[in-house]
Amino acid sequence: MRVALFVPCYIDQFYPQVAVASLELLEKLGCEVVVPKDQTCCGQPMANSGFASSTGGCDANFTTNFDGFDYIVGPSGSCVLHLKEHHPSQKIRSSVYEICEFLTDILKVSSLTAKFPHRVGLHQSCHGQRFLRLSSMSERNEKPFSKLQDLLGLVQGIEVFLPKREDECCGFGGTFCVSEEAVSVKMGLDRIKEHDANAIEFIIGADTSCLMHMEGILRRQGSNVQVKHIVEILNYD
Amino acid sequence: MVQKTMSSRDQILGKIEPLEPVQYPGAFTKASEGFDFMASLAVVGARVVSPSELEELFPGRRRFDKTMDGLSLADVEVLEIDGEFGVAENGAIWLTEEAMPHRVAPFICQHLVINVTEIVPTMHAAYARLGGVKSGFGLFLAGPSKTADIEQSLVVGAHGARSLTIVIRS
Amino acid sequence: MISHADASEIFISDSERTDWHDETLWFVRAKRDKVSKVLPEWEDLREHASQIKDHTLANLGEYLRAFEAKAQANGIHVHWAADAAEHNAIVHGIIASQSSKVLVKSKSMLTEECHLNDYLASKGIEVVDTDLGERIVQFRNEVPSHIVLPAIHLKKEDVGETFHQHLGTPKGNKDPQFLTEAARQHLRGHFLASEVAITGVNFAVAETGEFVVCTNEGNADMGAHLAKVHIACMGIEKIIPKREDLAVFLRLLARSATGQLITTYSSHFHLPREGQEVHIVFLDNGRTRQLADSKYKNSLKCIRCAACFNTCPVYRRSGGHSYHQPVAGPIGSILAPNVDKKANVDLPFASTLCGSCSNVCPVKINIHEQLWFWRQDLMSAGLAPAVKTVGMKMMAFVLANPVIYRLGGAFLRRFSGLLNNRLNPWYKQREMPVAPKDSFQEWYKKR
Repeated sequence: MRVALFVPCYIDQFYPQVAVASLELLEKLGCEVVVPKDQTCCGQPMANSGFASSTGGCDANFTTNFDGFDYIVGPSGSCVLHLKEHHPSQKIRSSVYEICEFLTDILKVSSLTAKFPHRVGLHQSCHGQRFLRLSSMSERNEKPFSKLQDLLGLVQGIEVFLPKREDECCGFGGTFCVSEEAVSVKMGLDRIKEHDANAIEFIIGADTSCLMHMEGILRRQGSNVQVKHIVEILNYD
Repeated sequence: MVQKTMSSRDQILGKIEPLEPVQYPGAFTKASEGFDFMASLAVVGARVVSPSELEELFPGRRRFDKTMDGLSLADVEVLEIDGEFGVAENGAIWLTEEAMPHRVAPFICQHLVINVTEIVPTMHAAYARLGGVKSGFGLFLAGPSKTADIEQSLVVGAHGARSLTIVIRS
Repeated sequence: MISHADASEIFISDSERTDWHDETLWFVRAKRDKVSKVLPEWEDLREHASQIKDHTLANLGEYLRAFEAKAQANGIHVHWAADAAEHNAIVHGIIASQSSKVLVKSKSMLTEECHLNDYLASKGIEVVDTDLGERIVQFRNEVPSHIVLPAIHLKKEDVGETFHQHLGTPKGNKDPQFLTEAARQHLRGHFLASEVAITGVNFAVAETGEFVVCTNEGNADMGAHLAKVHIACMGIEKIIPKREDLAVFLRLLARSATGQLITTYSSHFHLPREGQEVHIVFLDNGRTRQLADSKYKNSLKCIRCAACFNTCPVYRRSGGHSYHQPVAGPIGSILAPNVDKKANVDLPFASTLCGSCSNVCPVKINIHEQLWFWRQDLMSAGLAPAVKTVGMKMMAFVLANPVIYRLGGAFLRRFSGLLNNRLNPWYKQREMPVAPKDSFQEWYKKR
């Protein structure tokens, strides 16, 4: 299966290991992975700040890079959601997948070779959870499910813990993290406190932006807790 | 004044364009059943007693009496009135003004006693039973008056009756 | 006016109180979750309520006319107010014919929207708010911080001190039971003496001309049934078509609001009491404008349960007053810009777009999407600070050009240490990410 790997700009620049793990994992699972080299950004930072009218250049560049692929896969729920909801091309909107969604729904992965003998706290990022429906929501009257937990169930030795409020937002929120700095940090601190209560070693999730925010707070606290994207775990031998 | 009000009416109605039609969904048909009226009464803070227990509890209570006016009711300690029916899903009881000395009666007395003989499962069944409007005033009443406006601490007896006692009579 | 972000920073500076506020409202949300999960039909009920409201809004003029005709036939006077000023003038006109200079009012966010109390005070008429929470904030010259729990920003110590000052309760007494009893005695005197009572309206039924008012305290009824004149103020969006629709809405309202099965009192006002005058005042105040915009008309489905407040992680940690509007929270943030874009430009940004609001909403308002639409409309209207507009345009330019993006990215990683300074809001309480030597694309080229 031919797959185009979508590497969001901030992952490309600051979290290349997430893109490396995505590439390796998809290849391990038998995909032919193409990495369009001139890709940049999905346009979400501008759009969520009220400047969707300025994303034409990003949209066009995305189309140039990803035209013709049936599967465009990226390790960031939020960026993928933006493309699904707002990219002008219908073909792009219907071809783009968040990586856990792709592993579960398209590749239907049922076994992995990964081992990760650690206590991890799972952060459910809102856009992946509530809009891409990667897992059920605590506020809905619906049957519980979680694509993330199903995938982590294939990893040997891992112990997965949810915080007390299992799906509260971490407070990243794009430019919210700087325009509403006080609330953003308070929300992050509260999430971390609940994860800490489970004596976890890692906070993991499917959205690097949330993890970047919580990592910033953890490092300022001098905490030993690290953050990892879920693909880094799924690809960990 | 009247002139201006008239023109605002026409102005407001004039600004409302009919939107793309949306079908009225009809009656709700997916209501579950099997609700426990007694359990709901407990949740809303009403106590249930037998007729003989009521005699012991409130020997000097006042019964429904059309001659009472609103203000004199302020001195009534315990008032007993008849409810039309109870709703199992939420412990609410439908009352109409015909069964009250005055509309303010169930609110202004210190303690309220309601006789209930019939129970319907849900609010859907309740409105189906009510049909059209037959009273000038009616209400669903569930439990005693309450508030949690100070630190979310539940306090019973805000402005209305301090307690609600239900007697189920056949 | 202080922006949401700045007001929040002040609110959060008392972290103990912020934690208390957050925990208390989360507890309310948890109660809502619990009761909603007892009903297997919950999500169908939300969908049904949403469809009734959509249908009503699509035919609002027709239903308003039908309600008016029925209500008038029932002996109720119906008034129409285009804006807040006219609403207040109508209410004053009705009161002026009475001798009393004091009136009782039960909770009505609409009268807060119109600043009715201030207006009547300027005419020499005192309004006594009778909802306990509203009376507390009224004593303190504050406004409600939550549409269902008006005094949720206060601790019992604050209420004790306020009652000590205004009702003469013993200094230091902060027992909620005791303070509530003091308010009961104080307000009972007003109920018995008032000739005029103002209430809000939760639902008005077009089919019958009746209106329904829901309270837990019983204050709306105490006021309305004892007064010679009852004035009920409502937004034009409170209409529902049929009486049986009340079953759907009364099942949803209290469960969504506080996790109760139903409010203690759901009173159906159909005919005036013998010798009583009943008036209904319909208010537009921008609602018809909102209705005409397909992006925002949905917000008029709101039944004011405040479930979106309680679930909102931003509201819980910033308090209602940071929204500087009578209706705070997520729903307030999509209602307020319709009335005044410039004054409320910050509100649609007071959200992470987490989407929990839309999923608790009992009438399925797409709140998070409307927040996003408002962001676009407000920025397109030129209401962004110049530095933000320039920043966004530059960012859009860089990200649209792969070559510049690569150069910029390399530069940023090389000199990321420069961002570790106090002008960078990220760095104030967070470390910057550690920049890797190679970007992913650089690594991939060498692979």
